[in-house]
Amino acid sequence: MQLKKSHNTPRNIRRQLAAATCGLLAGAGHAGGLVASGNNWKIDSALLIYAEKDRVALVEPVLSLSKEIDDDEFINVRIVADVLTGASPNGAVPADTPQTFTTPSGKSTYTEAANTTPLDDTFKDSRGALNVEWDTPLGNNLRGTFGGNFSNEHDYLSTGFSANFAQDINQRHTTLALGLSFNNDTVSPEGGVPVGLTVMPVYPGVKATDGSKQDKTVKEVLFGVTQIIDRSSLMQLNYSRGQSDGYLTDPYKILSVLEDDGTGNLRGTTPYVYESRPDQRNYQILFWKGVHQLPNENVLNLSYRYFWDDWGIQSHTVDLRYRFDFAGGHYLQPHLRYYQQAQADFYRQTLIDGEETTLAYASADYRLGEFTTQTIGVKYGYQFHNGAELNLRVEMIEQNGKDRSADAIGKLQNQQLFPDNEAYLLQAGVSLDSDMIINYVLGLFK
Amino acid sequence: MVSLERRADYFVGRFEAMASHCEVLVDTRSESLAREITRLAADEVTRIEHKYSRYRDDNILHHINSGAPTRVDAETARLLDYAQQLYQLSDGLFDISSGVLRRVWRFDGSDRLPDAAEVEALLPLVGWDKVMWQAPLIQLAPGMEIDFGGIGKEYAADRVAQLASAFPLPQHTQPGHTPSVLVNLGGDLAVTGPRHDGSGWRVGIETGATGANAKAADFSLQQGGVATSGDAKRYLQKDGRRYSHVLDPRSGWPVSGAPHAVTVAAATCTDAGMLSTLALLQGAGAEAFLREQDVPYWCQW
Repeated sequence: MQLKKSHNTPRNIRRQLAAATCGLLAGAGHAGGLVASGNNWKIDSALLIYAEKDRVALVEPVLSLSKEIDDDEFINVRIVADVLTGASPNGAVPADTPQTFTTPSGKSTYTEAANTTPLDDTFKDSRGALNVEWDTPLGNNLRGTFGGNFSNEHDYLSTGFSANFAQDINQRHTTLALGLSFNNDTVSPEGGVPVGLTVMPVYPGVKATDGSKQDKTVKEVLFGVTQIIDRSSLMQLNYSRGQSDGYLTDPYKILSVLEDDGTGNLRGTTPYVYESRPDQRNYQILFWKGVHQLPNENVLNLSYRYFWDDWGIQSHTVDLRYRFDFAGGHYLQPHLRYYQQAQADFYRQTLIDGEETTLAYASADYRLGEFTTQTIGVKYGYQFHNGAELNLRVEMIEQNGKDRSADAIGKLQNQQLFPDNEAYLLQAGVSLDSDMIINYVLGLFK
Repeated sequence: MVSLERRADYFVGRFEAMASHCEVLVDTRSESLAREITRLAADEVTRIEHKYSRYRDDNILHHINSGAPTRVDAETARLLDYAQQLYQLSDGLFDISSGVLRRVWRFDGSDRLPDAAEVEALLPLVGWDKVMWQAPLIQLAPGMEIDFGGIGKEYAADRVAQLASAFPLPQHTQPGHTPSVLVNLGGDLAVTGPRHDGSGWRVGIETGATGANAKAADFSLQQGGVATSGDAKRYLQKDGRRYSHVLDPRSGWPVSGAPHAVTVAAATCTDAGMLSTLALLQGAGAEAFLREQDVPYWCQW
């Protein structure tokens, strides 16, 4: 089909022209020839400080680097270090007399005052973690993200791999996701791995151990759908299923054992036993997220997560963020979060003398108990004209355990068995790219 | 170089490139975002201008025009393939090697027509069919020249629109929420998509334009491109006859009876630009050609 001179009947060439133009503009989708933003590293750096009232404090610097290494192909490197100090509940209940515990290493003791929640204040740890991800197109509207992670602290080593696939369909309005991950962790507790539900020895006694380290694996699969509803709304629904196998017990947690006389007194000379958990946990997660941008460009972000497992734990999380954008690059984002958890089947605040020999599993770890957490926070950010961003986040977290004092035995009714906890979080972050740093440095010499 | 102006619910970024006033309308209230997109546009248009300008001696076009066999990059290859398809589609009317005819045709409003012999002498240097093009290698016959003057601005407008659509936005902007952007390179327009309220950008066409498919001189563009070809000020006049600056590369002479200018709206600015250019090349048949294409158009006679 060809165009003849004007005196001939003109032919419609629009479709052929459109096909040719499509070829011209194809493959030019990304900044192939853009020197300024093609070859630089994007840098996100943040410092997080988390502190629980009278308990642990965490300082965590994070550095995240990402770069487009080829057309539409990205690499992301994340380095995290954290330092944890302070005290953590060891699982024992408060008593009306001071209590003395052997430290995990078995080399010393610590004493908790009467009528206070026993905290192990020998808690001190530092961790380093490295995560590398490679995000690449695999085919027509199909992307893959492949990652590896490694983290190490003095008594814990974790390595993992993940593969995620995202297929855009329906003219890119719908994305289907499949995620697979595998993690292998090794715990090497101080003083060896205690045998579950055996007595915590009184110093200088030595605990019964089951070797010096134990492994656990976690396998998870995720199926997800993300749907663009309209120009300003987006929804995501994910279902994940996972299985942990191996040593899932916390080697530093204990339970108090009471006398079998209803008084609520601790058992004579051996009042504490190490906790014990099943060696398998199957869990499932349903996650829904909705994002809506209002005509004034403010963004509403709402999510709900339902978690349940075969330990009897169920939890619900509702998370709400609303972002106000102001002129001049400022934004403010309030954050509300509500978390509610039901306890594990084997969660026990205390054991009665003899139960440790009949029960297979028991734990007094407050994280397996029934509680709610409320978070209120706000994030403020400022975006510079060159695209760099500074942000600051402040949050207050309050945790309330279910008060079971009325069901407690004897004088334990007078004790606070699941003390409330308060925590604060402060995070300062900066995002920029390497060009900005180079331009800034060059500017200094002008 | 780049200036920014706030309007009620969008920003206008401005810069100069390709010998044109360039504008970028960004449908956002975020000044930083508007500035970034304007910079992106200015960088991209300048990049294309430098790479394909006829007036530079440090670019790939200069290398090709030197007559040496040249291995070209992917972008240049796409442009050459495109030019070849247009040449075939238009039966030789659209030809990126026709620029050498300007050596004898100077459309300055005067009556200085070239000699038929002068024109005849140049014809061996015109014709895409004489170019050896086998991606990624191109070689021109001695004395031949090519230029992308007929495609460059429209291509640049579409490229900017493409980059703006895929622009990595600050993290608050969710997928599907890239702001609508209108790129205006001296009258050649490309729009990325509808504005946040679903409406389009108001586009005005120079008065005096008529056209069977033109609904109004003022319309709303939600997506796609608009381009204008022709220039009422560039012509020659002799013995009462007006010679338009639109040259038929096959004869070396101006086509007769072409409109002064043709404006077309199409899916992309490049499509619009090619349709308006091909329409001009039809001469008096411009409007018949445009009617057949079933696109909105405006002709100035």
